[in-house]
Amino acid sequence: MSFWFWHGLKKGVRSTHYPREFESAAGVSPGRPVATEFDSAAEAVVAAANCPADAIVARGSAAEVKLERCIYCQHCHYGNSHLLEWHSDYEWTMAVPGRGKYQPLPTAYHRSLHVIVVDAGDCGACLHEVKQLNNPLYNMHRLGIFLTATPRAADVLLVVGPVSENMRVPLLKTYEAMPAPKRILAVGACAINGGVFGRTFMSAGGVASVLPVDLLVPGDPPPPLAILHGLLAVTGRKSPVLQAASSEGNS
Amino acid sequence: MIDPWIGGALALFFILCACGVVLTAATRGVYPLRALLVFSSACSVLMMFASAAALASGHSFAIDLWSLEGWGRFSIRLDMLSAIFLFAAGLVYLPASLFVRNLVEVRFRGRYPMRRYGVLHFALMASVVLILVANDAPLFLISWECMSVLCYFLVNYEQSARTDIRAGYIMLVMSEAGFLAALVAFLILGRGTPDWSFSSLAGMAQHLSGSAVWGVFLLGFLGFGVKAGLVPVNFWLPRSYTAAPAVFVPVFAGVTLNLGFYGILRLDAQLMSNHSVGTGLFALVTGSITALVGILYATTENDLKKMLAHSSIENAGIIVAAVGASLVFHASGHAVAAAIALTAALYHMVNHSVYKTLLFQGVGEVEAATGTREMDRLGGLARLLPGLSVVFLVGCLSISAIPPFNGFVSEWLTLQCLLRSAVLLSSAVKVLFALCGACLALTAALAVTCFVKVYAMSFLGIRRGDWRHGPGQAGRTQFPLAYLAVACLLLGILPTYVIPVLNRAVEPLAGASAAASLVPPFFSATPENQQLPPAFVDDFHNLGAQTGRHVLPGRGLVVLVRGSEKNPVVFAMSTSYSFVALAIFLLVTWFVATRGSRQRSVTRHELWAGGIPRLLPEMTYTATGFSNPVRVVFQAIFRPNIVEDSRETVAVHFRTAILRRRDETHFVDRLLFHPVGEAVGWLARLLAGMHHGRLNAYVAYTLAFLLIILVLFRLS
Amino acid sequence: MTAMGSSQLTPLQRIELEAVAAAVQAQFGSGISVERGSRGVALAIRLNEANVLAALSKALFWDIGCSFGGLIVEELSDRWRLSYLFLASGSGWIEVVLEVPAAVQAVPSISAEVHAADWFERETEDLFGLRFEGHPRLGDFILHDQIWPEGVAPHRKPQRRSVNVHQMHFRRRPNPDWRPLLVVQDPGSFAMPVGPVYEGGIGESLHFMLETVGEDVLRAVPRLFYKFRAVEKIAEGQQVSDVLLLAERFAATSSFAHSLAFSLAVERICALEVPKRAANLRVLLAELERLRHHAGAITGICESTALAVAASQAAIIEERLLRASCEFAGHRYLFGLNTPGGLRRDFVSRDFENLTGAVDRAVEDLHVLEDRLHFTSSFLDRLEDVGVVDPSKARDLNLVGPVGRASGRGHDLRRECPYGGYDGYTFETPREAEGDGYARLRVLFQEGYASAGLIHQAVERMEPGPVAAPCDSFVAGAALGWAEAPIGSALHWIRLDGSGVVERYRAITASFNNWLGFHAAVEDFAFQDFPIILATFGLSATECDR
Repeated sequence: MSFWFWHGLKKGVRSTHYPREFESAAGVSPGRPVATEFDSAAEAVVAAANCPADAIVARGSAAEVKLERCIYCQHCHYGNSHLLEWHSDYEWTMAVPGRGKYQPLPTAYHRSLHVIVVDAGDCGACLHEVKQLNNPLYNMHRLGIFLTATPRAADVLLVVGPVSENMRVPLLKTYEAMPAPKRILAVGACAINGGVFGRTFMSAGGVASVLPVDLLVPGDPPPPLAILHGLLAVTGRKSPVLQAASSEGNS
Repeated sequence: MIDPWIGGALALFFILCACGVVLTAATRGVYPLRALLVFSSACSVLMMFASAAALASGHSFAIDLWSLEGWGRFSIRLDMLSAIFLFAAGLVYLPASLFVRNLVEVRFRGRYPMRRYGVLHFALMASVVLILVANDAPLFLISWECMSVLCYFLVNYEQSARTDIRAGYIMLVMSEAGFLAALVAFLILGRGTPDWSFSSLAGMAQHLSGSAVWGVFLLGFLGFGVKAGLVPVNFWLPRSYTAAPAVFVPVFAGVTLNLGFYGILRLDAQLMSNHSVGTGLFALVTGSITALVGILYATTENDLKKMLAHSSIENAGIIVAAVGASLVFHASGHAVAAAIALTAALYHMVNHSVYKTLLFQGVGEVEAATGTREMDRLGGLARLLPGLSVVFLVGCLSISAIPPFNGFVSEWLTLQCLLRSAVLLSSAVKVLFALCGACLALTAALAVTCFVKVYAMSFLGIRRGDWRHGPGQAGRTQFPLAYLAVACLLLGILPTYVIPVLNRAVEPLAGASAAASLVPPFFSATPENQQLPPAFVDDFHNLGAQTGRHVLPGRGLVVLVRGSEKNPVVFAMSTSYSFVALAIFLLVTWFVATRGSRQRSVTRHELWAGGIPRLLPEMTYTATGFSNPVRVVFQAIFRPNIVEDSRETVAVHFRTAILRRRDETHFVDRLLFHPVGEAVGWLARLLAGMHHGRLNAYVAYTLAFLLIILVLFRLS
Repeated sequence: MTAMGSSQLTPLQRIELEAVAAAVQAQFGSGISVERGSRGVALAIRLNEANVLAALSKALFWDIGCSFGGLIVEELSDRWRLSYLFLASGSGWIEVVLEVPAAVQAVPSISAEVHAADWFERETEDLFGLRFEGHPRLGDFILHDQIWPEGVAPHRKPQRRSVNVHQMHFRRRPNPDWRPLLVVQDPGSFAMPVGPVYEGGIGESLHFMLETVGEDVLRAVPRLFYKFRAVEKIAEGQQVSDVLLLAERFAATSSFAHSLAFSLAVERICALEVPKRAANLRVLLAELERLRHHAGAITGICESTALAVAASQAAIIEERLLRASCEFAGHRYLFGLNTPGGLRRDFVSRDFENLTGAVDRAVEDLHVLEDRLHFTSSFLDRLEDVGVVDPSKARDLNLVGPVGRASGRGHDLRRECPYGGYDGYTFETPREAEGDGYARLRVLFQEGYASAGLIHQAVERMEPGPVAAPCDSFVAGAALGWAEAPIGSALHWIRLDGSGVVERYRAITASFNNWLGFHAAVEDFAFQDFPIILATFGLSATECDR
């Protein structure tokens, strides 16, 4: 139908200018809790105890945040005493500790990065946010990032979900089928350490226990722009911003 | 002179055949097989030698054998047309003979009743040669009858199943019917002739009335068409090809099928040169329909052997369509066009013999290695039989008319001929030509589908069936197949050397030379060259052909057809140059791919199948699935009969089984064979009603019959 | 078009509990004992003997006309407790309770009578090892036979009670000889495997076997549970607040509905009175989630027909609603809001203004989109008569949610069995009779508009007050909570001990119900229609797999 063409044109360009400019529209990101200074060490301990995911650590009078563990229960955001400060950004891709400095893909991949997404038991949110990257508001094609259906053509394995037992073999097969060089991006708290599902007989407790993860995108779910930041970090167009706490990542 | 050589070769041929019969019948153990191998190969070499000598010299060899008072005389004559057919027969008899040995050793581990087979083999060989060199109707017909009966014995040679015997009977009945039709045709033609030699028959043909011409033409066309597999008299063919033993099928398809064309050409083209446009159109339309029906059934057939049988029907259709086009051009006075069409027909005939023999041998070997011919159960043969897969691929490419192999040249020429209908005057004829051209183009496209399916389903993918045998001694069987594959390639890239040879047979039939127009010496052509018409040379000058004079070597390595006067377009195709270009391209690609880039590492991974544990055979395309679109599009022709369509179910979401079986009756069977069979059965039942055993009734029949005779005599 | 469709619809009928009780008592007499239900259940029917189960289920489902809700299996210390839920339209839940000693290994199957119970029984057999006599095909369901050996029953209580779910270990034995069970026996038929990694990876992990003989697909068999994470087992032994996090996160696209159903169940156990403001806020948030979900489902349908501009427009609507949710509640998928007793935070009137503004804009855009789609014949051609589930099949397989409503079902828990704050709200539940892809699309649009209307009503009815009743102490007991999630009914059943530790958690989801019904839509269809059927069903694998 021809009117769709005009309808589409009439709407104009809606895409964000990220990464050229910081996208500041309301609601693009839920933000993140950041380290907060309390009056006393006891208060910091209370703040840490509020967190059901052990993502807050009291260090002196400060409550520090291990974002990679955060499941966005919002307990440190409202509805409690001893709340933490929240920053409304989204650039929080992390390198995996203990694996040395992250080696980005060569520059040839800057404008042509093919991503295969494997849903390894995801709750649907992370997957949905990855899918949002295809919509006109984010439009990751403009950055030369494409989703592909076959691992044969993929450079990046983007995994969401804690790796359910029944998905373990398909995930391994996907990784094996990819040509080198390849990178693994674990997106979401579940993919990083199992999240609320943890490590059980049905969940491997994160991608790292199955495959060598290169970069982490914390969040539950991370907003589309955080995932985009992660994908840009894969090729070195952005650098991983946060450093995960050293006890994490290889659990 | 060349005569003693040809005569000697033919005499030696018959002597060797006789020796072969005696030796295979008289010896035991491995010797019959060896005798067959040695004598049969020698015989085929002699066939090729005799025909090549005749073709090379351009001299027909003729000799009277003996004469009988009142019966005329038996004479043989190896003219150019015979020589072409004889050469083609020799060309495929050689690998077929070697293949017999190999197949018997691999598949039957030497335990094959060779003695009786050897007798039949040599007898058939002799009768084929006799048919081809016969110069008078009696010898020709007697040899033909011998050949038919021998074919029947050979088809039923491994008679085990009931259906096989039935297939042989149907073939025998059809052959006899065809023989009778041909006999009547000769009788009409030779009414009042002093002797029954072909030359005097040709003389008699000039005096035939229009209806008699039609009668002789149709009787001959359909009579010999039985052997050639033309619609509607071909229903015996898929059955008997499937039933025939693997050792015989290559000969069956590569040699005896051609005899049908030989009969049609001898009787309808050579003996009767005064036919009308109508007879030619009849042949053209019949051929086109045959081709389309043949390829449709070939595409949907999953039994390799049956599929090749249907494909033979298709090729027969193409050849007869080209012959028909030639007759039309001839009758309307376009001798050159007629010559080109006939060249295309003969070329395709030779090509078909070569690649069909190759493919049937390949199928024989597949069956020997796996025990099945069902494409739905094969798959992954390329790993099991790598050598065979290469030569079989050559066969598939050739039959699908893919350059640079031979099928391309002849099909291209055939289609070009049909496009030349612009020279014809009647617009109705032009429309028919266009329709037949479209029909043949569709056939060519379906042929590609068909053989993509054959190769992909049998040789590629993963192994589907649980086969009985392991791989046989695959190495030894390669020679005959490789020989045929090389022949396919050479016939494909050297048409300019083949066409002048064919032209020797075509020229007397069509009354003009095709070589000058198909293979013009235009690179060396000067305005003074009388061999080419000046207008023709001008065309090429305008096209800049002369500029290539110093660059491109050789005498016209270009197969081309010139456009009409108004439209001086030149259809040119050089398969040899394109082959060279293709080879260079592939070599460069290979070189660049392997050497050109640095640090290439090749890693092999398991097939990607969406992450499932293992791709199972039941998850890959079946042959039925691949050809189903064709089946659906041409449903009106196939008319599948749903035998079973049931669903076993617990609940709507919970099917335990969906059963569906279809039964397809062949188009010709449905329209002709079954109704005729029923009519005959009805008549027989009616007559059987008279035989009730009462004596007085029989006396009454006799009386009534006498009365009728008397009345008739009285009236006349 | 809606009017045309509704003319063929059978009117919805209210089923009175008294009539049900009288009918079953008359039929089964001493075999059963009927009593008033409690904690979410309106009527409880206890079986005194197991052999009347099938007949009773048949009477409830087919004769009386109840819908099937699901099966809750519980392994108590000395016995199995099987609770079959039936929904009496307009009156509430009927529970058929069968208790058998722990040593019993098999109970009668009802799936021959109530087809919708089929998967529930297969699920129970796989996870608890409890066999169902008469079921035609058990095994290879949740625990895929290519990985898991027979005899593993992970949801059984461990021998030592101290072992928690993170310490449990089961033997896995990959079975290389595993072959899919194929039903088409046409010579030359084959199965096209699709998944579990497919569709550019944005699809959820699903696996289908498309059985075909070329051209048309005769049957598609979905193979699910690739994403099974044993949510119900993980919940055992955890505190309510931790299980709430799980309930919220196992199916994020309808996370608010699930956390709501969970909270309602806990509130029923602890007899908490939810403040009026919280009830209204819950309606508002649940409807916001529904609107956003339906916008996403519409995007998926447009994508499946390759109508790129429409898909983009719908995706923009969806993303705007996600942003509005984030701006309003702090999370794009509304995590961290529900708590037993109410909500964890309050909102101010400016928040409501922003939200209603965004919702109005979304509705306006949806209207524009719908109008254009109605005039795109190439789009409608691909949806009409595709993946048809006629009303009788929908009833047979107990389809719920928008998919069920597109096949003439009236199953909407907000109306049939009101919960939370839905009393007094006025809204339309669209129904269509055709049961094809287009009917499902129309239902999605209509429900989206209805949700926007409910959001406005909720804002208007907002009254000042607290947003949560304090939930300090727990009592032992079990209760049922339910909510009409965007995909369909969500049932959460919880048994607590006195200290607030969950002993058994059961989540029955709409997707689990509807994946079974999906089978009815994927028979004899053209291969290229498969993604469209899949998109119009809009089912979630994660919600089904749990």
